[in-house]
Formats: sequence, C-alpha cells, structure tokens
Amino acid sequence: MISLLTGIDSTASALDAERVRMDVISENIANVNTTRDLDGKPYQRREVVFENVLKAQQDSIGGGAEAVRIARIQKDARPPRMIYNPGHPDANAQGMVAMPNINIHQEMVDMIASSRSYEANLAVVKNARSMAVQALSIGKHS
Amino acid sequence: MDPLSALQSMVSPQLGASLNNVVKDAAASATKSIPQVELQQINSDAPLPAVAGASSTGGFENLLGNLVDEVAQKQAAASDTVNGLLSGKNVSLHQAMISMEEANISFQMMVEVRNKLLDSYQELMRMQI
Repeated sequence: MISLLTGIDSTASALDAERVRMDVISENIANVNTTRDLDGKPYQRREVVFENVLKAQQDSIGGGAEAVRIARIQKDARPPRMIYNPGHPDANAQGMVAMPNINIHQEMVDMIASSRSYEANLAVVKNARSMAVQALSIGKHS
Repeated sequence: MDPLSALQSMVSPQLGASLNNVVKDAAASATKSIPQVELQQINSDAPLPAVAGASSTGGFENLLGNLVDEVAQKQAAASDTVNGLLSGKNVSLHQAMISMEEANISFQMMVEVRNKLLDSYQELMRMQI
C-alpha cells in the first residue's frame, strides 16, 4: 500500500486517544452528583493514562510510527467530598453525604486542554494534506 | 518513472521498431560527419532503446496498473470506513475523514501521473522526424 500521507498514523492514534479522553471527561461531568456507583459507593473521578506504542508498519522505510494509545482508565483515589445534607437518602448518621471527588472547574480545564490537543493534531493532518497537494502541483504553471 | 520508457511500453511494438529504425538510420548517416570519439560519447550517454524492450511486457504498464489498483483499494477502504461510521460501528469521525482524504490525494496523484504521461506522449507525437 502506498502511503502518501506519512505521519498521519501517529496523528490518527492521538486523535483517537483525545476522543477517549473527552469521553471520560464527559463521564466525569455527567456523574458530578452521583452518590451511588456500581459498587454502591460514590462515583470516583476517572482519568485516562496515555502510553506510547510503536506501531509496526510493514511497508514503511522508517520501520514504524510512534503512536499513542490509552493504557488504562483509572479511578482517582482522592477521598470523596463530604457535604452536609441530612435529607439525602445516602446521608450517614452525622447527616454528611459522600459526593464524588470531582471538581467541575478541573474538568472544564481538562476539557479545554483535550480540545486544544485535538485541534493541534487536526492541524497536523491539515498540514500533511496541504504538503501532499503542494507536492502534486510541482511543475505546474502556477 | 522515465516517461520515454513508459511511452515505449505503450507504443505498439511495430511503431516502436520503426521509430528505432528511423533513429538508427539517422545515427548511421550522422556517423560520416561526426568524429568517432564524439559519437561514442553520444552513444554511451544515451544508448538507443532496445527493440526487445518495446515488445516485452512494459514495466510501466504494470506500475500504472498497480497504481490504479492502489487508488481503487484506498477508495474502497474509505467507503468502508464511512459506511462503518454511518452504520454505527466503532469508527470515529476523524478516521473516516482521514481515509477519505488519503483516497482523494492518491486519486489526485494518479491523475497527475496520467497528465504527465499524456503530455510526454503528445510532445513525442509533435516531434518532427
């Protein structure tokens, strides 16, 4: 297979990874008030861990493209936020409710960072494409 | 990709042979006026294309066929990805866009190769012999 847009493979993997990161952030924001996770405890904030991976390419001269992928989605181990709300069904004897350890401001900042990373990778795609198009116009009369 | 050798494989063997004969005749008539040393230089710089090359299966023809096949493959891959996206499979939007872009670029490259080939063919047809 000829590869006209080299470098796209790494970028595509990064776009995939950022997509997953955005999904995890949206999960966090959606569950900001969830006091019962699947295990019955308050929801714990999720965060993604990226890892580098050498993508083997049979026909590439360079031997392979360094790509990124999601190593795992791990739970944030910080303690839950305790708020006083005696009427809540999950309140303890002191009237305190364990809320998820999610800081909405932090999630918004993470979302901006993720969106900017996605944008940067899209810029790489755009430039690789325009380089290919310019190379194809070699020798044309302007 | 040498356009001349490409043309050689495209031009029919008879025409190629007659062209070669014409060129050889011209070279033979030129031998009388050009000193031997210079002629050797010319011959070593640009050897006459062999007639056998024209009649054998052209390497460029295969190359062009492969290129067309590759472009068709890329386009099929792109349409697969888009179909996957639209039918709700685990395909992301950027994957579909990137594969379409790859198909587009390779198609453009094929068109460019074809244009270059046609240009050189027409140039050769305009040549006065």
